[in-house]
Amino acid sequence: MNSNIVWLVSYPKSGNTWFRIFLSNYLQNSSIPVTLENIESTKISNNAVDFEDWIGLNPFELTPDEVDLYRPDYYRILSASADEQEPILYKKVHDAYTLNRNGVPLFPEAISKGAVYFVRNPLDVCVSYANHSASNVNKTVNFILNEKACLAGKRNGQLRQILLSWKNHIRSWCEQTRIPIHVVRYEDMKQRPIESFGSIVRFLGLEFAEERLERAILYSDFNLLQQMEQEKGFNEKMQMCKSFFWKGVIGNYRDYLSKDQIERIVEYNYDTMKQWGYIDDQGELTV
Amino acid sequence: MPHLEVKEDDFFLDVRNIACYRAQNGQKISLYAYPGADPASVKLFLHGSVLGAILHQQKMLPLHGSSFIYKGKGIILCGVSGAGKSSVTAAFCQQGGRFLTDDITPVCESGKGVKIVPLKTRLKLWDNSVRQLKIENQALERIRPMLDKFYLPNFESELTEQRLDQIVILNTHNKESFEHTELSGVEKYNALRLQIYRKNFLKGMPETSKRYFGQLLRLASHVKVSQIARPQICNICETMEFIQREVLK
Repeated sequence: MNSNIVWLVSYPKSGNTWFRIFLSNYLQNSSIPVTLENIESTKISNNAVDFEDWIGLNPFELTPDEVDLYRPDYYRILSASADEQEPILYKKVHDAYTLNRNGVPLFPEAISKGAVYFVRNPLDVCVSYANHSASNVNKTVNFILNEKACLAGKRNGQLRQILLSWKNHIRSWCEQTRIPIHVVRYEDMKQRPIESFGSIVRFLGLEFAEERLERAILYSDFNLLQQMEQEKGFNEKMQMCKSFFWKGVIGNYRDYLSKDQIERIVEYNYDTMKQWGYIDDQGELTV
Repeated sequence: MPHLEVKEDDFFLDVRNIACYRAQNGQKISLYAYPGADPASVKLFLHGSVLGAILHQQKMLPLHGSSFIYKGKGIILCGVSGAGKSSVTAAFCQQGGRFLTDDITPVCESGKGVKIVPLKTRLKLWDNSVRQLKIENQALERIRPMLDKFYLPNFESELTEQRLDQIVILNTHNKESFEHTELSGVEKYNALRLQIYRKNFLKGMPETSKRYFGQLLRLASHVKVSQIARPQICNICETMEFIQREVLK
């Protein structure tokens, strides 16, 4: 069995897709920016169509818990399907690190090369997620504080993904010891891109070339992605959402969250926000 | 032990906690139901993946689609699970269409044309589709006790082979509008190949796969194939009306 899958993990709206675009540019080392369709090969690990193709069962005629019994097998099959052209598979993940009903981790250790975890200030996540799902902000505040929060898994599209709350999502991945993990802050990717993206390239064991790194960062610039989406659309956008690449700025929450909403998020996630630098030693928000 | 093993004439599937199924030589199915498994679930997977395997063993070219006769034309609506095949088929049948088969439609060559082989399956619809189509749901049977998906009592149906005229491939996209493309050439062949029911089973069935190559080419030469992209969120009848207007005109 090969350890050939890299899990690109995040709570939603934390820079995962942005990184996938960077990665496509870096891997292809192209002289022009790769198109948004080109990130297809790093698509989500929960695609229901792919699951049905490989497992041979319609996931929507199984319960989500039954589907999770097959997910370790599904990823083992994907791992075995890798070929010389694409020896390492990069798979986007929004699931928390959990075990299925048989006590087996959804993401098998033996086929995992590693995981990159993208963490973003939950206050900004909240606002960005409300835009993405065309939902109201208060609902999203409740969602990211909900220990039983799940995504999808209804009748089409993606398999059910257990998210837990924002703080337990990151804890679940950082506290597991089976898969090597490298955590990167969204804010650092924005403010210190060479250092941040470079650290991931090194963690993944990819050939490091500074000029290539700089070009891939330039080709995954947020304004460029917005422009590409405007011109040709982006199939990962939901129908009700106006644009996938919306603002992408740090501290955007100040224009959208009420004092009460900020307090609720901070109070619930205080220790984890402090651990990842979103609250300083004096207990003040850093952004 | 893997849950799925596929060889040319021997197929094994373990649907955990429900049943293990074995299909051989296109003729024989044996199954072992796990203790406590409910009969409806055992039946559902028998009439899905296992039936698909038997049809592959019989070289019947099963397509992932629901079929009906509408205004004298034999139509298969193909697409991935959740694309809307069954609900749009139900909408056509409410408009005078005659139901043939749900979810899996085998096709065979006959003389100069291609025919749909009706299977005695029943349409399966989620509760929201049942409501949208204003179907009385009190007496409907659930496909599994824990799912809000129901078997519909059959619409007026045909039990004999019918000429196949048109294949419509249903997709969804994140736009507000519908799009229609009529396929031709290699694009048509490739799109048809993707509609084969449980096409990954063919990785274990190289002989069948080879034989399907010719069958698909002949299918492509006899039948019109259209691709429809519908909004992710849209009304079932809107989709039916778009197909009526743009494809079946």
